[in-house]
Amino acid sequence: MFRNYFKIAFRNLIRRKTYSLLNIAGLAIGIASCLLLFMVIRYELSYDKFQPNFNRIYHVVTEDKNSEGIDYTPGVPFPALDAFRTDFPQVKTGALFSLYGSQVTVLNNGKAVAEDKKFIEENGMCFCDPVFFEVFNFNWLAGNKEVLAQPNMVVLTQKMAEKYFGDWHTAIGQSVKLDNTITLKVAGILSNPPANTDFPLGLVASFITMKNNPSVYYYTTDWGSTTSSFQVFMLLPEKVSAASINAQLKKFSLKHYQKSDPSRYRLNYLHPIAENHFDTRFGNLGDHVTSKPTLITLSFIGVLIIIMACINFVNLSTALAIGRSKEVGVRKVLGSDRKQLIGQMMSETAFIVIVSALVAVLIAWLILPYLKHVVSLPEQLSLFSGINFLFLLIIITVVTILSGFYPSLILSGFQPVLALKSKLTTTTIGGISLRRGLVVLQFAMSQILVVATIVAVSQMNYIRTADLGFNKEAILVLKGNSDSASVARQKSFKEELLSIPGVKAVSFSTDVPSSENNWGTNFAYDHRPDEKFPLFLKFGDLDYVRTYGLQLVAGRGYFQSDTINEVLVNETLMNKMGVKNAQDMIGKEIRLGGQPWKQIVGVVKDFKTNSLRETVKPLLIAANSKFYSVTSIKLLTNNLSKAQKNIEKSWNKFYPEYAYSGSYMDESIAHFYQQEEQLAVLYKIFAGLALFISCLGLYGLVSFMAVQKTKEVGIRKVLGASVANIIYLFSKEFTILIAIAFFIAAPTAYYIMNNWLSNFAYRISIGVGVFALAIVLSILIAWITVGYKALKAAVANPVKSLRTE
Amino acid sequence: MIKLKDISKWYSNGSAKAHILRHIDLEIKEGEFASIMGPSGSGKSTLLHIMGMIDDPSEGEYSFEGESVFTLKEKQRSELYKKHIGFVFQAYHLIDELTVYENIETPLLYHKISSSERKAMVADILDRFQIVGKKDLFPEQLSGGQQQLVGIARAVITKPKLILADEPTGNLNSKQGEEIMDLFTRLNKEDGVTIVQVTHSEKNASYGSRIINLLDGKIA
Repeated sequence: MFRNYFKIAFRNLIRRKTYSLLNIAGLAIGIASCLLLFMVIRYELSYDKFQPNFNRIYHVVTEDKNSEGIDYTPGVPFPALDAFRTDFPQVKTGALFSLYGSQVTVLNNGKAVAEDKKFIEENGMCFCDPVFFEVFNFNWLAGNKEVLAQPNMVVLTQKMAEKYFGDWHTAIGQSVKLDNTITLKVAGILSNPPANTDFPLGLVASFITMKNNPSVYYYTTDWGSTTSSFQVFMLLPEKVSAASINAQLKKFSLKHYQKSDPSRYRLNYLHPIAENHFDTRFGNLGDHVTSKPTLITLSFIGVLIIIMACINFVNLSTALAIGRSKEVGVRKVLGSDRKQLIGQMMSETAFIVIVSALVAVLIAWLILPYLKHVVSLPEQLSLFSGINFLFLLIIITVVTILSGFYPSLILSGFQPVLALKSKLTTTTIGGISLRRGLVVLQFAMSQILVVATIVAVSQMNYIRTADLGFNKEAILVLKGNSDSASVARQKSFKEELLSIPGVKAVSFSTDVPSSENNWGTNFAYDHRPDEKFPLFLKFGDLDYVRTYGLQLVAGRGYFQSDTINEVLVNETLMNKMGVKNAQDMIGKEIRLGGQPWKQIVGVVKDFKTNSLRETVKPLLIAANSKFYSVTSIKLLTNNLSKAQKNIEKSWNKFYPEYAYSGSYMDESIAHFYQQEEQLAVLYKIFAGLALFISCLGLYGLVSFMAVQKTKEVGIRKVLGASVANIIYLFSKEFTILIAIAFFIAAPTAYYIMNNWLSNFAYRISIGVGVFALAIVLSILIAWITVGYKALKAAVANPVKSLRTE
Repeated sequence: MIKLKDISKWYSNGSAKAHILRHIDLEIKEGEFASIMGPSGSGKSTLLHIMGMIDDPSEGEYSFEGESVFTLKEKQRSELYKKHIGFVFQAYHLIDELTVYENIETPLLYHKISSSERKAMVADILDRFQIVGKKDLFPEQLSGGQQQLVGIARAVITKPKLILADEPTGNLNSKQGEEIMDLFTRLNKEDGVTIVQVTHSEKNASYGSRIINLLDGKIA
C-alpha cells in the first residue's frame, strides 16, 4: 500500500515539476534554516554543561544599590573569599582572578630568550587556588591542584605549553615571566578545555603569588573596592538549596559591607553558572555573552521561516487539489475510504518533506563552514549527530502534519460524483479565503522581518557613523604597562615617535576616550559633601585633548604635570551639578576620594565615554603619569603602514621586554558592536529568505491561477481587454493581500524593533520611511513575481486558449 | 438484488425544487442485464449513482441483497459496496499517474488482498482481457477502446456481483463499442454478473435482457 502511495507521489513529483520544485525549494530552505539555527542555539545552550557539577555551581555576584540605581558586578572584594570560607564551611568556595592582555615572556635558564618569545595573552590568564579545581573539573595531564598552594607556580593548558615550549612534556620545571615582574615555574599541565566553555583557562598561576605581590595587581584587603576580575564560585553540597545559601549571604552582606561603607547597599547572591553564558549584566570570562532574547529571536525566526514554507505547501496543494479530483473520485468509487485517502495524501506529503529534508541537509552542510562569520562560534559544529537526526525527524513529522493535514482533508472530502464529473471548481471546494489568509500571514511575516532588517541595519549604520565626540580615525593605540620603569621611558619614546614621518600627535593615558573600562571613584564638588554617584576617571598627558580632537566648551586644557593638578570635566558632570553655563564651572574645585581639592580649568564637550548602549558618564580628565599605560598615536592617513612599521621598531627599541600590540581605535570601537552587527547580518539573511519563500508561494499560486483563468482571459481578450487589463486582473488581488498584510506587520514590527532599540542609549527613531520602504519593497517583489506569469497569460492567443475547452 | 422504492431526488433552487428523479420504484434481479435509456437530463446517471451508493436520493428506500442501504452506517455501506459493486464510466476514469497494471491492482489494495494474491489476480485478468502486453503503459498511451477495457478489467477484478456502467461505449467508435458489449454479455452469461448500464443506443440496449425507459425522472 505505502509503496503504491510513494510511487504515485514520486510520479506526481516528476509530472508537476514546477510545483514540486517550488515546494521542495521552500521546504528545503526552511528546514535547513531551522536545522542550522537549532545547532547554533543548542551549542549556545551547551556552555559548561560538561562540568560534572554544573547544576550545583554558583557564581557569587554583587548587587550594588546607590543613588544612581543598581549596579551589577560579577566580582567581590578580595577579603570576601576568606570570609566566605569561614562563614560557609559546608560549601566549597573557589576563586579566580583574571588578567587581560598580560604579557608572558618565556625564559630560558632564567634569561629572556629572543624577542619572538614574548606573548600577549588577551585572555586565559588567571590566578586560582587549589579549591577552584575542586569546584570545577579540569583534567590534569601532569601535576595536580596542590601545586597551586605554593607561591610562584603556574599551570598551563596543553595548548599553551605547546605554544611556549613546543612539547608539553618538556614544559614542567621551566619558567615564564609574567608582565615582566613575576617569574613563575611551570608545575602542571591541564588538558585543553572544550571550546564551549566560559572558563577558557590558558595559564593558571597560584593565587598566593598574587597575594604576595599586592602592588602589581592591586591586591587589597579593603572591603570597599570591588573588581570584576576577582570572581568567586561556590559548589553547593548535594542537598543544600541555593535559597538557603542566599538567605545566609544576605546576613553576610549586612555584616561585612554595611560596616565598611554604610552609604551603599551591597548584596551578594548566588547566580547559577547555567546563566553565566546569557546574563549580560555580569558577562563572563569567555569570548561572548549571548543574551536569551537573542536566542529567543533566533528560534522565533526559525519557526517563522518553517511556517512560511508550510504555508506554501498548503496553498499549492489545495490549489492543485482540483487537478487531482478525478483521481480521488476514482479511488473512492473503487472502494477507498476517507481514512485511506488521507493516509495516501499524508504519505505523499511525507515523501516531499523527506526529499526536502535531504536537500536541506545538503544545504546545511554547504553553509556550515561559513556559519562562524555570522554567529560567534569558537569551533565548527558537526552536522551528523544523533541529536540533529532526531531534530530532523521531529521537523519532518511536524512539517508533514502542518502542510499535509489540511490539503488531505480537502481532497479526501470530495464527493465522488462531483469529482468525477469535473464539477469541482475552486469555489466549490472552498478554502479560497483560507488561502488568502495564509498569503496575508506569510507576507505579514516577511514584512516584519524586512522592517526589522531595515531598522537593525540603519541602527548599525548610525552607530558606525555616529559622532562620538572625538576623532577616532587613524589613531593607533599601543597597550603597555604602567610600572615605573615603563613610565620613565615615556618621555624619550614620545620624542622618537614624533620624529617618525606621518605621526601627528602622541599622547600617554590610562585609557582611550571610548572603552569598556569603568574607573570610578567617589568625589565632592565645590566643597560640598560627597556626591551620591561616582565620577569616572581618565588620566592623560596634556596632548590627550589634542590627539583625540576633544573639544573644549569653556576654559583651557591643563598644563604639563605628572600628578593631578588642574582638571577637565565633561558636560554631563556639569549638568549633574546643576550648572547651566560652562563658564561657571571654571575655577570651581573638585575632590577625588580623600585627596586634596583640585581646580577645574576647562569643560570638554561630551564624548561617548563607553559603548553607545550606555549613556555618557560624568567624567574627569587630568594628568597622572604613574598610571599611563596606553600610547595613542595620531597618524596622517596617507602612509599608515610605513609609519606603523617605524612605530613598532621604535617600540621594540624602548620596550624590548614588552611585546608590541598596536590596534586602530576605530577597529576596537567596531568590536563593541560585534553582536549587534552579527544580528543585523542574520536579519538580512533571514528577511531575504522569508521574502524569497513568500515569492515562491506567490509564484506557484499565480501559475496555478494562470492555468485556471486561461478561458476567462481568452474570453476577455476576445471582448477587447488589453494586456494591461489582464495584468491588472492578476495583480489586483495580491496587491490587496499584501496591503492587508502590511497593516498586521507594521505595528508588530514597530513594537518588536522599538524594544530592540531600547538596548541602545543612542538610537534612531523608527520613521514612516522604514515602513514605506518595506511595503514598496514587498509589493515590488510580488509584482515582479506575478508579472511574468501574468504577462504570459495576457499575451497568449485567445483562439488557442479557448479551443482547449 | 436491488429494490428501489419511491426514490426521489431534487435540488433546491431558492424556493423552487428542481426534480431529477420522481417516485422511482424499481427492482433488479440477480443475473439480469438491464439497460436504462432516456433522453439527456432524464436522470439516468443519477439513478445509476444511487444504485451504486455514491449518491444519495432526497427520499425513498433502497434495499440491496435484502439490506436496507440508507439505514446502514457509512462504514458498513462502504463495505457492502466495496464487496459487491463495480463501476464502469463513459470517460473510463483511469488514474493517469498509474500504469495499466497498477490501475487494475488499485481496488485490490482497498480490499486488503495480499501482495502475492494480487499479482496472481491481476495476471489472470490481464490474460483474460488480452492486454498483457499493455500492462506497463500509462492510460494516455492507450486508445479509448483499450482504456475502457482496462476500466472494465479494473471493475471486475474484485469479482463483484453487480456492474454499473455509465454509457460505457459513449466515447468509443462502433467497432470498439461492439467488443465492449460482447464482453459485458460474456460476463453476464458466463460469470453470472448482474449488469445495469445507462445507454443512449438502442443497439447496445439490445444486448441486455431488459430495458428501463426514463423520462423526466420517471419510469415510462
